Amino acid sequence: MTDQITRRVFLRRAAASGSILTVPGLLAACGGGKSSPGTTGDTTSHQLAKTLHFSNWTLYIDNKPGGRHPSLEQFQKKYGVHVDYREDINDNPTFFSKIEPDLQRGQPTGRDIIVMTDNSRYPSLLIQKGWVEKLDKSAIPNMKNLIPQQRHPNWDPNRDYSLPWQSGFTGIGWNEKLTDPVTSMGDLLGNKKLKGKVGLLTEFADTLALVMAYNGDDPSHVTDQTFNRAIDTIQKAVDSGQIRQFYGNDYAGALSSGDLVATMAWSGDIVQLQADNSHLKWQLPDTGGDIWTDNMLIPKGGNVYTASVYMNFVYEPKIAAEIEDYVNYVCPVQGAKEVLVKEDPSIANNPLIFPTKKMLDNVHTIDPKALNNQKYQTTWQNLTSA
Amino acid sequence: MTSVAAEAGRTRPNALSRAWAFVLRHVLTVYSLLFFVYLMLPIAVVIAFSFNHPTGRFNYTWRGFTWDNWLHWNAVPGIQSAITLSLEIALFASIVATALGTLIALALVRYGFRGRGTTNLIIFLPLSTPEIVLGASLATLFLHSASYGLSIPFGFWTILIAHIMFCISFAVVTVKARLIGFDRHLEEAAMDLGANEWTTFIKVTLPLIAPAILAALLLCFAISVDDFVVTYFNAGNQVTFPIFVWGAARVATPPQINVIGTAIFGIAVTLMLINVFIQNRRSKQA
Amino acid sequence: MGFGFLHRHRGSTAYLLLAPGMLFLVVFFLVPLGFLAYQSLESGSIDFGYAFTWAWDNYSSAITGYGTQFKRSFAYAGIATAIALLVSYPVAYWIAFRGGRWKNLLLLCIVAPFFVTYLIRTLAWQTILSDDGLIVRTLTDMHILSPGGRLLATGTAVVAGITYNFLPFMALPLYVSLEQIDQTLIEAAEDLYASKWTAFFRVTFPLSLPGVVAGTLLTFIPAAGDFINAQLLGSTTNHMIGNVINSKYNELIDYPAAAAMSFILMAIILALVLIYARAVGSEKLTG
Repeated sequence: MTDQITRRVFLRRAAASGSILTVPGLLAACGGGKSSPGTTGDTTSHQLAKTLHFSNWTLYIDNKPGGRHPSLEQFQKKYGVHVDYREDINDNPTFFSKIEPDLQRGQPTGRDIIVMTDNSRYPSLLIQKGWVEKLDKSAIPNMKNLIPQQRHPNWDPNRDYSLPWQSGFTGIGWNEKLTDPVTSMGDLLGNKKLKGKVGLLTEFADTLALVMAYNGDDPSHVTDQTFNRAIDTIQKAVDSGQIRQFYGNDYAGALSSGDLVATMAWSGDIVQLQADNSHLKWQLPDTGGDIWTDNMLIPKGGNVYTASVYMNFVYEPKIAAEIEDYVNYVCPVQGAKEVLVKEDPSIANNPLIFPTKKMLDNVHTIDPKALNNQKYQTTWQNLTSA
Repeated sequence: MTSVAAEAGRTRPNALSRAWAFVLRHVLTVYSLLFFVYLMLPIAVVIAFSFNHPTGRFNYTWRGFTWDNWLHWNAVPGIQSAITLSLEIALFASIVATALGTLIALALVRYGFRGRGTTNLIIFLPLSTPEIVLGASLATLFLHSASYGLSIPFGFWTILIAHIMFCISFAVVTVKARLIGFDRHLEEAAMDLGANEWTTFIKVTLPLIAPAILAALLLCFAISVDDFVVTYFNAGNQVTFPIFVWGAARVATPPQINVIGTAIFGIAVTLMLINVFIQNRRSKQA
Repeated sequence: MGFGFLHRHRGSTAYLLLAPGMLFLVVFFLVPLGFLAYQSLESGSIDFGYAFTWAWDNYSSAITGYGTQFKRSFAYAGIATAIALLVSYPVAYWIAFRGGRWKNLLLLCIVAPFFVTYLIRTLAWQTILSDDGLIVRTLTDMHILSPGGRLLATGTAVVAGITYNFLPFMALPLYVSLEQIDQTLIEAAEDLYASKWTAFFRVTFPLSLPGVVAGTLLTFIPAAGDFINAQLLGSTTNHMIGNVINSKYNELIDYPAAAAMSFILMAIILALVLIYARAVGSEKLTG
């Protein structure tokens, strides 16, 4: 299937390349080189597109050897829609900057669903700028399965534009073969035995929330004073050589290879990484961790109906359970736990996937105003890349 | 051969300096061999780990030998389309860049014209501009293109344009080097025999500079297939092989990356070995 | 394209030959630099858009805010270039004068590693230099590295990576210039001067200068703008100006700042190239 598509595109380009030196030929070819998803922004259409273009983070869906995704295959079987599933999101800013030029120019991005994190500024920025489509809620009756605490985020109060994909915790991961348990930020930032073997996250909100909580400040209400205090704490750890590097997704490799002994880490990653290194442990720091949610959004020009039908599909508890069984993040779908109790009790009873009240009481969310503060962003960037 | 002759023909034989020369020669040889070990070290790692059987996402620790990665080289989603795109781009870019570059080289070597200095400068500048500046400036052009009524979306064509752009100068330099050391008498002889300029070009010039054109093609192909920085700025949604590696390496390093890396290496080295072999035979015959 | 009918108009033939390629370079190299220049004087933000305001302070704040990274880039690139020159000169010499019939094969050995994708090569160094790897263990055993010391995520690793990755750009021009030296000149010099070393420094080395100039430039220029090595082998405290430009452009969408830094980088490189060319006295740079 994909082979054929590739070949067709190839031939079309080959034909077009004959005329590359003439400007009109070039322009015509440019128009044709882009794959545009279905109908453009036609919210009233209730016709399914042939293909759903879905951009997600890597290793964030059920996965079988050979790159197969059973849940996507079931979707195709049920609705006849092929899912063009791309794992091309590595971090929020880079992905946003990749689609921004298209959105800015009012062109389709070639995607029907994208997944962005609510503790970055981008979901709210996308809504503000009018760069996302409204969900077709009539096609998503399963939206009733969304867990209550996720129904009214302040940046999209009625879930008009977004639906959670997974949530996760930011805490501390460590290698128990190389260190005693590291369960406090004080230990992570100050323990001399860990010097040069500690990672922090480049994601502004993650690192800031954990450090502010450690400083005794409230991450959900950031002031210049508390922000600067957090920056000072981190800068001191950097200057003392404690911090090896600021990481995105890439802390995983360093942690599993032993280059990192302890690092700030995302909950589900550690479960997956135990296949590489069985000595990895994870815990929320004693002063509290951070909770975030990755949200499905339909970028402007995406096929609203098809995307909505897919969202409805993954909000069926059975499908959600299937995905959960692999990704090990926090599931936003009610009823999935009940399915898993029968099929895979170890997952159903894992507090990282279905968290206990105690855990939820020990997590913070970052002040959304801080996310949009240009001055903070610049300070942060200078700290992480100086 | 020549150095042995030089050694024998020395007029002032001096035992000390001879001993010194002996040591020096061998030190140099040993050093050079160590140098090649250093050059090949990471390559050996890449090749070895293409046969690794990692237990999880990362291919950093040796876990056991397997052929699986080679048999299922495209089992990682996205890797096949990435390598296909890279090859397509490299093929088109090297052909177009070499054609354009050869014409420029011909003009530079064969013709006197006004503006030669400027031309040389424009050829030289891309070579002395860091890739990140080339990438950023071209991306800026494409970003701004919308405000001038030509909306060029990032993708196949922007990558191709970028690759042709940075390949042209390399093609010019390669072909020019050959043209400069080229005996014009052959062409003059052909013209004297009544051939017109076009026939002379096709029958005499082209065959003589063909090796240089081929070298330029291969060089451009290699540079294009390997390029990351400029492509990263101008690729939009498209994923070439280096971009695939960049994205993948953050969360997992499937051994298939090593398989492709090894395969490209193997093919390139084989082609070059054949070339060396042919050249050696030719020089023997000559 | 026909050449025959142009026989009597040689001047225009040259321009016809030049036209397609030069047009391409003008449109896709020079014009983009113009756009970049324009963008470097814009101000604004991603939320409200950017507008042209003659914002010269983009340049001054780039220098005041990221002076460290600029200095670090040129320092790393300079050290890497010097090491590459020292390391590869003897090998180029060896191939040129002792290679015999193996010359082509040896040259192939120099070029071959660079057909493995740049990023894969650098990732391989990551494996080799890792804290648990053979090299770190050996150096620790030899007490060259202090216990718990590391190579990965240090400036040393970044410089080593840059040196390795740009080595053929140094070795090949060196070889070409050494190979062109007339053997009899060296023999004469060795007869004339007492020691081989004097002969080398008085004759061989000066004759190989064009190769040294080309090699150092071809290494230094890409090295100064590199960000891959610093990203994969370095730590936060080893970031170069390339990392900053990349993150400004591809993460923060702060195009004006990225554009201003690109221009400063390019200007410094061109200035250094000119000073260097003048100092060495080589006018073959553009030839």
